[in-house]
Amino acid sequence: MTLQPEDFWSFGEWLLRPESFLESALLQGIVLVVLAVLLGLIIAYLVSAVRHGPGEGFYAVARSVRDLVRSDLPGTSSRRIFALAKLAYQEALRRRVLVVVGLFVVGLLFAGWYLDPRSSDPARLYISFVLTATNYLILLLALFISTFSLPADIKNRTIYTIVTKPVRATEIVLGRMLGFVAVGTLMLVPMGIASYFFVTRGLRHDHEVVEIDEVGDGRFEGKLSFDQFHDHSFTIEPSADPDGPELGLTDTVRGHRHVVRQIRGDDGNVERYVIGEPYGALRARVPVYGSLVFTDRAGNLTDEGIDVGNEKARGGYGAAGIARLVGVTREAQRLDYGYVEGGTLGSAIYTFNGVTPRRFTDEEGIPMEMALRAFRTIKGDIVSGLNGSITLRNPDKPQIESNPLTFVVQEYDVSEERLPREIEGTDGEVTRKLSLFDDLVTDDGRLEVIIRCIDRQQYLGMTTSAVYLRPAESSFAWNLTKSYLSIWLQMVMVIAFGVMFSTFLSGPVAMVATFACVLLGFTAEQIYDIRYYMDRGESMGGGPVESLVRLLRQDSMTTELDVDQVAGKVIQGVDAVIIYSLDAVATSLPNLPRMLSTAEYAASGFDIFGALLARHAVATFGYVLLAFLIGYFFLKTREIAA
Amino acid sequence: MATEPIGLADAPTADPAASPGSDVVIETRNLSKIYRDFWGRRKVAALKSLDIEVRKGEIFGLLGPNGSGKSTTIKLILGLLFPTSGRVLVFDQDATETRKNERIGYLPEESYLYKFLTTDETLDFYGRLFDLSGAERKRRVDELVKLVGLEGARHRQLREYSKGMTRRVGLAQALINDPDLILLDEPTTGLDPLGTRDMKDLILSLRDQGKTILLCSHQLSDVQDVCDRVAILHQGELKELGRVSELLKVQDVTEVHARGLSDAAKAEISEVILRHGGTVDSIDNPTATMEELFLSIVRESERRPGARRVSVSDTASESPTAVATATGDDAASRDEGQS
Repeated sequence: MTLQPEDFWSFGEWLLRPESFLESALLQGIVLVVLAVLLGLIIAYLVSAVRHGPGEGFYAVARSVRDLVRSDLPGTSSRRIFALAKLAYQEALRRRVLVVVGLFVVGLLFAGWYLDPRSSDPARLYISFVLTATNYLILLLALFISTFSLPADIKNRTIYTIVTKPVRATEIVLGRMLGFVAVGTLMLVPMGIASYFFVTRGLRHDHEVVEIDEVGDGRFEGKLSFDQFHDHSFTIEPSADPDGPELGLTDTVRGHRHVVRQIRGDDGNVERYVIGEPYGALRARVPVYGSLVFTDRAGNLTDEGIDVGNEKARGGYGAAGIARLVGVTREAQRLDYGYVEGGTLGSAIYTFNGVTPRRFTDEEGIPMEMALRAFRTIKGDIVSGLNGSITLRNPDKPQIESNPLTFVVQEYDVSEERLPREIEGTDGEVTRKLSLFDDLVTDDGRLEVIIRCIDRQQYLGMTTSAVYLRPAESSFAWNLTKSYLSIWLQMVMVIAFGVMFSTFLSGPVAMVATFACVLLGFTAEQIYDIRYYMDRGESMGGGPVESLVRLLRQDSMTTELDVDQVAGKVIQGVDAVIIYSLDAVATSLPNLPRMLSTAEYAASGFDIFGALLARHAVATFGYVLLAFLIGYFFLKTREIAA
Repeated sequence: MATEPIGLADAPTADPAASPGSDVVIETRNLSKIYRDFWGRRKVAALKSLDIEVRKGEIFGLLGPNGSGKSTTIKLILGLLFPTSGRVLVFDQDATETRKNERIGYLPEESYLYKFLTTDETLDFYGRLFDLSGAERKRRVDELVKLVGLEGARHRQLREYSKGMTRRVGLAQALINDPDLILLDEPTTGLDPLGTRDMKDLILSLRDQGKTILLCSHQLSDVQDVCDRVAILHQGELKELGRVSELLKVQDVTEVHARGLSDAAKAEISEVILRHGGTVDSIDNPTATMEELFLSIVRESERRPGARRVSVSDTASESPTAVATATGDDAASRDEGQS
């Protein structure tokens, strides 16, 4: 999992972006609401001006705004909202939507057959499977229940008995939204619980001891049987407590290890071994990320490492908000792996903040995890892997530096190292034992970790999220709950949009409209991409019309468009209009893929940041508010009986 | 259906300031409605310049054939439709004002209710929409269930109900807020004669409690039986407006009801009429209406369950009144078919 710059933003940073306010989410939200309201008023005025004439039309629009502020919002009663929400809830339940939960559980029962048991990381496979399945299922369900209910009520006229009571349009819209959210929640909770058990049970397995040797001093070494496509080897150390059980630990295979317990009989001989359940597979690491700078092969500081090719992926425009839309930010905002060359002065320097003994209580040292990449220019010894070194340095007193700790790079995996509390090193000219917290960490808790590649002509790739300290571990269950919260927020968003569209469209049309919004939200990054190329003048075959022309003429995408000059201008003009409008629409829609990405955190075993959830929650609330306002105006100005 | 009064002393009463001293409850001014299609093209003019006033405490009937604009008028009054031109004032407020609904009860043409709810749930739901407290709702629901005679079916979903039963639930929901103005769209459709009679009695008792009732119907007998005033619409235009008793009075026909006359006496009466320059249209024993027959059968059966009614001639003997109808020179009888 490579985190992008925006993933590191705190909630406040995301909301306000102090250095570049144009990128702030708050600004984007305000612009969106203001634009929607203005556009709504203009359209409403045009429509009613056509119906009632210019003067009366203005009066009609003004009256509905006045009604909202003066009577409908203050007159909104929680009892009525509750009644309408309960009705929507009962309606959905009596249509037996809960059957979907049953289907989900049945699906889980059979899913085990199709999940690759040979996977090197089964936990990731299981977690991402349940989360993706739940996510799409819930969004689909939200789409159906939210879009069909209100149009059905209008069609069979049950709405007549509602709107002839003192019910405000605000209450109808809010009541629906709340009722459907309640239904969705009712379905999401059992799905979450089923998923939890599916993952934990699915990863549970057993081994038997097949080989055991006493190596002296009461130590044992042995191997476990080959089950579930893997085996383990283990060692048992003599227990400090002579009466206590002898405990041993296996190595980590496929992300987990087992505890091996030696049970002795009354006669003191080893009777049998008990293998514990796998642990360590389901994790929720709480990482502390640092900031990263590189040095080149001569030892000069640079912002970027060496690009070994295919690293500069484009994308990440979405985080730029309004700035991108108005064309201030054109560059892609993505972090890539930068490489350092082995055997030179090239290095990656991470600076971590908040390294304090209170936070890192482990006596054995600070746990640090690395997910590094390797790039080889010579074959070398491919079995043993690349060698790297870790050096600790005091950021304020660079003369205090530890001796390098060497490690073997584990590609495609997260390796764990410990930064010891006591380490040999140099303090200027003196070589002595350095204390981690007293000598290497500054008073305000900063620490530099320098990573180099040792092997010549080989390269080591790093990015900000590739190396982190791990002060704590959160519980997997809580992390899964947070993933589900994120799914819940997406569901709320889809329901809000569905109800909004259903206030003025018929059921199927409202569903298609909501679906189109979700789809546009999902493809937003691609649309930003097209716009990016358009702005840079790097036309990759042009926009939709130009592509169509090329298809029909069987022209290559790389040639100049071979049409009449005027026709070419027209085609490109139309394309520009389409792309810019799509871009504007995509920017104004919720970026669901980013919300979906929390599943990636859970699957990779990282604690989902609170700030990330808070951002999603606030964005969801903003969109719900917008959908509520739009839905209100449409319902209010609609002739129910027409 | 029992027809005891359902007036509630402690029910939320209307804000007197809302209608300051005026007894006009509904007023339409030059009300017109043109239905248009999606593109705004004119489809049909459903209502043309309607001016009516409904006063407090009266039963006002809207009469007319199908498609004459009755339902459109009711929907305009309720704010379900917006007028193309003209205005509707209900309790001196605009018809699109939501707050007026607090004093209105509406029984739609067909009972558009949620089929998946039970009677109790339905009434409780509509009670909540009036922001009634829990205790208040419970009391109202109990009363209304008894009033419309659905005690035995309170916990059944409406999808299992017959049309008449749904109609009763519809009526109960219209009365949940103890409204001052009750709008009834075809109140007797789907009801059996017994139900129709109960409905009419209920409408009259509601009027006696000082409520204003607007009903629209094409069941002429309903209108005749209960309405104080009627407006007759045809093709969206108001054709006649006035008190029922005056509208129906046939000025040149005299009706005499007498009992125990011999044939000779009847002949003599005919002679007297002829001598005074009148014409005798008929001298006959009156027939009861089917409604009266049906009701008397049902009542008797309730009194003596299991017994079959003896003969049809008994019916006639119960109302042995002779009716003489005499007209002046033109023999047109406007109330033909009404008696």
